[in-house]
Amino acid sequence: MAKETFTEVITVANSGEADVKKSRSALPWIADNGIFIFTALLLLFAALFVDGFASLVNITDVFHRAAPIGIVAAGMTFVVISGNYLDLSVVAQVATSAVIMLAVSNLYGVPIAMLAALGAAVLYALINGIAVGYFKANAVIVTLSTTYIGVGVLRFFSGGSIFFGPEDGPIRAFGTSKLGPIPYSAIVLIIVTLVLAFVLNRTNFGFVVRSFGSNESATRLGGVNTGLVIIGAFFVTALAAMVAGWVLAAFSNTAVSSMSTGYDFQALAAIIVGGTSVFGGKGSVLRTLLGVIFVSVLTNVLVLSNISFGYQQLALGVLIVVAVTVDALSRKAGKR
Amino acid sequence: MTTSSPFAANVVIEARNIVKRFGGATAVDDVSLEVRAGEIHAVVGENGAGKSTLMRVLAGVIAQDGGQVLVDGVRLETGAKNSIAAGISLVHQELSLVPEMTVAENIMLGYAPTRLGFTKSGELNAIAKKALDEIGVSVDLNERISRLSVALRQFVEIARAVARNPKVLILDEPTATLTPTETDYLLNMLQRLAANGMAIIYISHRIPEVFRIGNKVTILRDGKQVLNSNIADTTPDNVIDQMVGRELKLDFQSRRVANPGEVALRAVGIRAPGVNGVDLEVREGEIVGLGGLVGAGRTELVRAIIGADNRTAGRVTITRKGKSATITTFQSAVRNGVAFVPEERRVDGLALAMTVAENITLTNRHELSRFGVQIRSRVSAFAQQLADKVGLRPPQITLEAGMFSGGNQQKIVIAKWLGRRPDFIVLDEPTRGVDVGAKAEIHRIVRELADEGTAVLMVSSDLPELLELSDVIHVVRDGMIVGTLPAGEANEKNVMSLAAGEKMVDA
Repeated sequence: MAKETFTEVITVANSGEADVKKSRSALPWIADNGIFIFTALLLLFAALFVDGFASLVNITDVFHRAAPIGIVAAGMTFVVISGNYLDLSVVAQVATSAVIMLAVSNLYGVPIAMLAALGAAVLYALINGIAVGYFKANAVIVTLSTTYIGVGVLRFFSGGSIFFGPEDGPIRAFGTSKLGPIPYSAIVLIIVTLVLAFVLNRTNFGFVVRSFGSNESATRLGGVNTGLVIIGAFFVTALAAMVAGWVLAAFSNTAVSSMSTGYDFQALAAIIVGGTSVFGGKGSVLRTLLGVIFVSVLTNVLVLSNISFGYQQLALGVLIVVAVTVDALSRKAGKR
Repeated sequence: MTTSSPFAANVVIEARNIVKRFGGATAVDDVSLEVRAGEIHAVVGENGAGKSTLMRVLAGVIAQDGGQVLVDGVRLETGAKNSIAAGISLVHQELSLVPEMTVAENIMLGYAPTRLGFTKSGELNAIAKKALDEIGVSVDLNERISRLSVALRQFVEIARAVARNPKVLILDEPTATLTPTETDYLLNMLQRLAANGMAIIYISHRIPEVFRIGNKVTILRDGKQVLNSNIADTTPDNVIDQMVGRELKLDFQSRRVANPGEVALRAVGIRAPGVNGVDLEVREGEIVGLGGLVGAGRTELVRAIIGADNRTAGRVTITRKGKSATITTFQSAVRNGVAFVPEERRVDGLALAMTVAENITLTNRHELSRFGVQIRSRVSAFAQQLADKVGLRPPQITLEAGMFSGGNQQKIVIAKWLGRRPDFIVLDEPTRGVDVGAKAEIHRIVRELADEGTAVLMVSSDLPELLELSDVIHVVRDGMIVGTLPAGEANEKNVMSLAAGEKMVDA
């Protein structure tokens, strides 16, 4: 029997790919590369046409404000890549961490407060992860429910009151400090992004998260404890939300149970706009950072142009619908 | 029952020179048949002979590439609406009922009587009841399908087909999941329907059933029609010969000399959905083949053994280097040196959007990392070495797995397990949909594994492959091992006879 030759098969493999791209659409390409182009265009547009955008003060302020959501989004990227859509409970997790940070540190100091916040993060990760990973419960419903549980518990213990940190404490100092022109919050965002990018791309854990998102059954039948993988993905998200809570508490020096409302949606927006697929398996933490920058700059441009909050919300909503549709269509086009 | 029906008068459905291709492969090649009112026409053939494809063409589900289908002399156009209008009902091989809807709703699904968009439930129930009465099955109309046994679901499926008052009823392996008593009931029912003037096309692998109810028989082999005759003019022996078709040619040149060692795997009393109590042993360096028909429970059996699916009873022990371990979960199996090449490689075997290297890394990640961090140089060297070992073409480990041909995808699945140097490997249809060159290479790899002492358990519906590779063949039917044939005694005929439920022919 004549065996296929090397070059023949290469041609077949490559022509197959070429067929998909040629005969279908540009959508897979846009889903993959759109974020780089659109971010560049947006930055160019803002720099040229929006008054007050291209100043060091404004740019550092954009990053400062983007930091908590960016940190949450970097963590949540793991849940999205695992194919479990999102973790809505980051809303409760960020607030819980911030409240614990200020309330507990006032009484017992910062290290104990950090440990307490870590305990809460572990609890969230276990509840979400076990329900979704081992009991195959729907991630959206589970995390929507844990949001209610978390916010409920927080209101119960805080009595709805706002917590303040001391004006001269270490938390306040961290929240107002800068390294040169760069606020500490932005530095934390960069560090978290780099660390999580390393975890996702270079460790066995990150690898099985991606593999699970790409094909759950093949990953299980590769001998992987898939329940543990999902718990891990939720744990990374919870740790990031915890850090985001600290950063948020530090720069506002106040904490209240409702302070992170909307973080679920904004983090998801950054992830999806960055080009991470909601179908799992495809995406990266660095893309999420780009998505955060895009969404933050867009919001900043709208604010600077005196466009009202209602329109800002509208823009974000439209952006996600478009991004998610491109994701879905490109997936369809990519299939033979 | 071989007399022709008293109704045998007008031809209801006629297929003329049907050709159907999928890609380059011809699934149905110039098949013609006609069925008269009151007649039962059996269509038999091995797995993959083209039976289901032919039925789907006859029912207007898929379009043929050549020839035509005539119903009452009128050409049938493709499309569900047309075939319903023409009076053709197809009972699918896979159950297509909606589990959370009631019996009545399922029977009437898609053509429930309505007024102003509201379902007329009285009328709906009446028609559903009539259909069930017609096939003589009593089941609560308001019971949910999910609460019924597999057999009852099968009957509801048939009731659904009958409720449309078809002129032609096509059944694709309706008895595959039924017990002998249930099968008996079904066959009687079909004879009754035929006696009332229905034209029935009945697909089965099971020769005794065909001879019991069929008036005529068509045999397909590799898509070609090798026999179309009255049942009375043929014999079960002849039918099996024609189904198999090949000369009994065993390639003894390529047979390796088996040198089985200690028992590596012992499975006792395995039960699971579709598996009804199986004991099995595989020795070091031995290739044990599982033969049988599609739906006989072989895939379910091997998956239950290694914990890929849950088993309801049974115990599995793996022994290596004198140490025994009990296998419960798939993870524990993998830890004890088990490898698994699944039947559905695109679903269970590969992450198609990931690279070859990543797919190979999955099963070997612990050896390729330090403190959980992957060592990239080692990953690519390791993956490349395995890709070369299985003869991956092109040997490029940075390409996505989904870009490779079926045969090369299968090599990737095998490669990812070879890296673990398995002591026991399960291969489920290792060469299905694989080109001839890749098939030969996969066979070489399997032989090498066995020669190195790996215990091999292989499911194969490809008879020559099964006969050529296996040191011993167990034939599975109805979730049980119904016969065991050592390599020297097995041939296509006696394996097929056991698989199809025919008595052993002069064994």
